Amino acid sequence: MKRLGLFALFLIIESALPHVFAAEKRFSLPTEGSPLIGPKRAAVTIVEFIDYQ
Amino acid sequence: MEVGPTIEGLLKEFEGKVRLVVKFFPYPYRDYARIAAEAALEAWEQGKFREMHEILIRKSPRLDRESLIGYARELSLDVGRFVKAIDSGEHSSIIERDVKLAKELDLYVTPAFYINGLKVLGVRDYDYFREIIVKELKEVQDLDKR
Repeated sequence: MKRLGLFALFLIIESALPHVFAAEKRFSLPTEGSPLIGPKRAAVTIVEFIDYQ
Repeated sequence: MEVGPTIEGLLKEFEGKVRLVVKFFPYPYRDYARIAAEAALEAWEQGKFREMHEILIRKSPRLDRESLIGYARELSLDVGRFVKAIDSGEHSSIIERDVKLAKELDLYVTPAFYINGLKVLGVRDYDYFREIIVKELKEVQDLDKR
């Protein structure tokens, strides 16, 4: 029961602060040879994996 | 909630500061996912990627072959070259490369984003992305001051 309570608490915190968890690890992704929208160099690069359907 | 307009809005708000790199991860069991990716890549080849990308997001799920050819016409692409490319899977090596990368990253949902390497999965609202971008821009500014 106590474990269940802790798990519920974790879920509440996780949903309230998802950005904290998102910011934990930085991945290095190749960007050459892919379509680009925006300037060739920018302070922020968003890499999106897309399925149009 | 669709994430397409969100990203379009962010690119406009942070014009010159944010760039979007698109990788293709078409689900194998969706009829038009693959051909739509081919269409986007052929539009890229012909210099109109952004326009086609936005149309595909807006018109989804109307992504059958005939509809795609119609969008190519709307954008004044070379339709002959376009048809040849989507029918022959001319850009399949790029799609395969991206799918391989997605699998290496253990991705199984789209959309998936990496904002300066930070992973964001699934559909999120405008402010969620905005907050991360503002934070990233601030970090870059702080680094420049050092």
